[in-house]
Amino acid sequence: MGLDMAKYRRIFLEESTEHLGEISRALLDLEKEMASVAAIDTIFRMAHSIKSMAASLGYDPVAELSHRLEDRMEGVRAAGRVRDVEELGLLFRGLEALEAMVAAVSEDQPLAPVDPGLIEELGRPAGAGAERDTAMAVGGEPKKVRTQSPSPR
Amino acid sequence: MARVLIADDASFMRQMIREIIEPEGHEVVGEATNGIEAVDLYKELQPDLVTMDIVMPKRSGIDAVKAILANHPTACVVMCSALGQETLVMEALQAGARDFIVKPFKPDNVIATLKKTLEKAD
Repeated sequence: MGLDMAKYRRIFLEESTEHLGEISRALLDLEKEMASVAAIDTIFRMAHSIKSMAASLGYDPVAELSHRLEDRMEGVRAAGRVRDVEELGLLFRGLEALEAMVAAVSEDQPLAPVDPGLIEELGRPAGAGAERDTAMAVGGEPKKVRTQSPSPR
Repeated sequence: MARVLIADDASFMRQMIREIIEPEGHEVVGEATNGIEAVDLYKELQPDLVTMDIVMPKRSGIDAVKAILANHPTACVVMCSALGQETLVMEALQAGARDFIVKPFKPDNVIATLKKTLEKAD
């Protein structure tokens, strides 16, 4: 059976663009209220939906990044809140990377692999400390950020 | 052939399921975009089978399955799951869902799963 994949590409672009807009609005809500259940749930569902569509179309880097973002949001949901401004910045970076990928699909550009540093950071357990060389401050420029590792007990 | 209700918040997935199953002679009698609609449409349409996404707004697919089966114990529900949702699939199966299909959908697998589920229900 052959599905009309050009049709699904169009739907993917429409729905992904809407979902990315919803993620953006939800992140702005989280900037004001880091424990917003509605915003956390929205980002989780939108990332999940983009993942499923991208996987169906073979857009593997999009599927991988949205999967990592979804997993991260599952951790945020379990924690009940975004941990701090740094974690919020990481989520914004995930959004920006997804937006760039969807734009590449829209322009029929080849999809580059996901930045391994971003994947690694998204996959890091919430609360784990580490040195981050280029974390993005919310609303600011990339800068060097150093976080404290938890003291051994 | 069966009357099918498709429950998924993504138009992309609803259209894909429709395009896979309609050539097999199944009739899509309704589409739900969240768990609340799924429960309401099941009651209204009494379909032979429901394809139910797990992650949906307002009411999850798991909750919707439980609500449908509470009032319609013979309902045929097939879950639509994605990578990493194994635990949720198990919960849905324990709640009474008949089977599951995994995204990204493989048309042959979707058709075979629905066929098997409908045959068992007869």
